[in-house]
Amino acid sequence: MIDVWVDSIIGGLLLGLVYGLAAIGLNLIWGVMKVINLSHGAFMALGMFVIYLLFTAFGIFPYFGLVIVIGLGLVLGMLTYFVALHRVIDAPELSTLLATFSVSLFIIGVGTFVFTTIPYAIDISLGSISFGNITILGTKVATGLISIAFTAILYVFLYKTRLGKAIRAVSMNRVAAELMGVNTTFILALSFGIGIALAMSAGALIATIFPFTILSGGVYELKSFVICVLGGLGSPLGALVGGIVLGMIENVVTLQIPTSYVPVIEFSILVLILLLKPSGLLGGKV
Amino acid sequence: MITLDVQNLESGYGEVKVLWGVSIKVKKGELTTIIGSNGSGKTTFLKAIMGIIPVWNGKIIFNGEDVTKLSTHSKVEKGIVMIPEGRLIFPEMSVLENLEMGAYTKRAMDRMQDSLDLVFSLFPRLKERIQQKAGTLSGGEQQMLAVARGLMSVPEILILDEPSLGLAPKLTIEIFETIKKLKNEGVTMLLVEQNVHLSLAITDYAYVMAEGKIVLEGTGEELERSDEVRKAYLGI
Repeated sequence: MIDVWVDSIIGGLLLGLVYGLAAIGLNLIWGVMKVINLSHGAFMALGMFVIYLLFTAFGIFPYFGLVIVIGLGLVLGMLTYFVALHRVIDAPELSTLLATFSVSLFIIGVGTFVFTTIPYAIDISLGSISFGNITILGTKVATGLISIAFTAILYVFLYKTRLGKAIRAVSMNRVAAELMGVNTTFILALSFGIGIALAMSAGALIATIFPFTILSGGVYELKSFVICVLGGLGSPLGALVGGIVLGMIENVVTLQIPTSYVPVIEFSILVLILLLKPSGLLGGKV
Repeated sequence: MITLDVQNLESGYGEVKVLWGVSIKVKKGELTTIIGSNGSGKTTFLKAIMGIIPVWNGKIIFNGEDVTKLSTHSKVEKGIVMIPEGRLIFPEMSVLENLEMGAYTKRAMDRMQDSLDLVFSLFPRLKERIQQKAGTLSGGEQQMLAVARGLMSVPEILILDEPSLGLAPKLTIEIFETIKKLKNEGVTMLLVEQNVHLSLAITDYAYVMAEGKIVLEGTGEELERSDEVRKAYLGI
């Protein structure tokens, strides 16, 4: 019996790391741009299909395909910023909310037309790691490790590089950053690009462990929102911690109760955190 | 030689016109001051010069070049540097990171070490707090940091918007002493102040602004002797 628990906890931890990665994308966009990105889930789904197509059509192994997904995410994100967000970035929040929602509708609409809503899956195996009675799939381990690596790279980028510091400066005070000679329009576009690249790569990683449809993004988008509230908006580390908590709950709780109750628990957490500690567990600025 | 030449500047917010054709000149190596009461349009004028709000009409000539339409960050790249009202430091960054942000432009980055030496000689207290989060500094120290950060940008002209605002009298005098020191170092400055007495005492040339227009101008001494200024601003 104890083996089952250990198995679930490890599985939950690994899954949580990739949830955390997705949430960091959402978090960064909110922290720097004060935009709630409702196209987050759609871009995650797009990442799933890009990695799928790279694998099935071009034979690119998914973990190498990630590099392409990130590059594509960066470009698409920056493009989306200039097409959909730039003109409304200083308008009240409802405008940016609607702008990102329309991007989401566009992606899901075209995606449904091309892929329909039937489930897809990426069939790869990295073997498994066993000790005692516990077996963990290699793909899950890889997903967790890559998520940690991406988070670490992002952290170093934000705190140690000139461009990363400019992003943090813009998140604290955009006018002041502009007065330092920072091209803040470019920084906003770049931040959106990075956020989308993170969402798409998280989607791609999830696609290597679970089946997916073009509509799958919605579920993960909601999880990202819960994680951001749980970990604290504006805190990348908080998002990772929040992700792990959520991944654990999902894997461990379902040992005792039916899976369909998971969203109930997740949203109860959301409401409780908002009531008791609105700044989140590790709330703060980027 | 004229560093900054603003001609007939008009600007405002939305439909409301605030500046009704303001012209000033700032000479190289001099301290030029704009005084005026609350709501006279001083801060709006500086925002328009920096391009934070759009210029409706008029021209901004910097070192002989028309920079009216440039974006704010391009102006900073050219050496027009403003220390904004309310300091606007980056609170979650360390003192050193704030200074590094000041030297963000390529031009300033090349001279970062020299700038740091200058800044630390002017403000030894900042050197002691180099790793401290800027948001935890006292109000006076934050103002020092804001001035230091501006100097890190290697300004051709340094624009200061109400540097003494909200500071205790002792710190106000300290800030004015710093401005005097910078003037002696040959830094070209445009100062906007409500503290009329202290600013007129150290300025080379001054303008008086009221209701979005320049109503009076002259050397610091001339204005301090003028009846209008004495009555309206010095309360004598």
